[in-house]
Amino acid sequence: MPEIAVETTATALVNSVVKNLCALAARAWAKRWIITFTAPTGVGKTTAVDYAEKVLTFDHQVIRCKQVTTRYTLLQALALAPGEKWNTHGRNWMRASDLYDRAVERIRQRPYLLLVDEGDRLRLDCFEILRDFWDDAKLPMLLVGNEVLTEKLNRQHERLFRRIRVRFAQPRLREADLRKVLEFMGYTVADDEFNLVWTLVGGSPGFAEALLENANEIAASRGVKRGIEALEGAVQFFPTLKTAA
Amino acid sequence: MSDWMRRALQARPELAAELYRRGMFDAEEKKEFLSAQSISLPPLPLGPVQFATLLADGDTQLAARVVLRNLIRPNELAWLDRLLRFQKPNDKRDELARIVERALEGRKGNARNCR
Repeated sequence: MPEIAVETTATALVNSVVKNLCALAARAWAKRWIITFTAPTGVGKTTAVDYAEKVLTFDHQVIRCKQVTTRYTLLQALALAPGEKWNTHGRNWMRASDLYDRAVERIRQRPYLLLVDEGDRLRLDCFEILRDFWDDAKLPMLLVGNEVLTEKLNRQHERLFRRIRVRFAQPRLREADLRKVLEFMGYTVADDEFNLVWTLVGGSPGFAEALLENANEIAASRGVKRGIEALEGAVQFFPTLKTAA
Repeated sequence: MSDWMRRALQARPELAAELYRRGMFDAEEKKEFLSAQSISLPPLPLGPVQFATLLADGDTQLAARVVLRNLIRPNELAWLDRLLRFQKPNDKRDELARIVERALEGRKGNARNCR
């Protein structure tokens, strides 16, 4: 994997997720490849994408998928300039195909890396459009998502799946890494609290944060500082974690 | 008994009490609620993360109603959005996630019809 310079700033913690994502982005850009980056929920993929958006030194565009992302919103994001509106009627109206052609032209003239966050939420037609972009304009892409992304591509989008050169699966954070992330997030966690958090959520800072915030609120409602009792009380709010424990 | 009342009564007591406190029910429903469930309202309201967690883990349709009726504050909505992403996807959860996203953008209504 190519080494890339990632600066550590006071406002960001460059852990293995961030490093791997930035390295894969650089690789996708340099080789003009499609790469997938999958990791379990709560590991910090979106945070890493936010960080990469700021530090990547080459042209790139980030698309953050939502449940309501359609092929039209995707085309608008790639074809229209910031602030520009899609005229669907009137004198200068544009079809979706016009938008597509415009996006392809833009990519050909000035290529960039497309970073898709939460790619697992994209619908079938959106994946087909991404494949068309790669075929017509060799648009390099880094698709980021959870395990569902690989499954979805494997089962439903064979044509796109075959064009993917690297499929990287990021493991959960290790114990020491999770502790570092929590400290960076501003949580002072005692050893017994950390052990409980680790047992319940493993290397998922997102889940850990939700659990600790619940514990903080429970402790605040009792007028005390957060302790192991508050944390155990917070677990009651997460039925899925209780069964896992 | 209305469907919402039934769902609220089946929810966790803390959540049901919080919904009662936030004015989810009209006067008649309030009477019905108090007679149906002998709950004692906790002295303090739930914190934003607690409320969002209970909604995310509870009845999806009840949560959707809470969002659509604007009984949830923006910071709670942001937490709900985050917590929903942690869960395994299914149709009901996806529908709720759509509603939450639209509420975060300041839009309301049925996500399915107004896409």
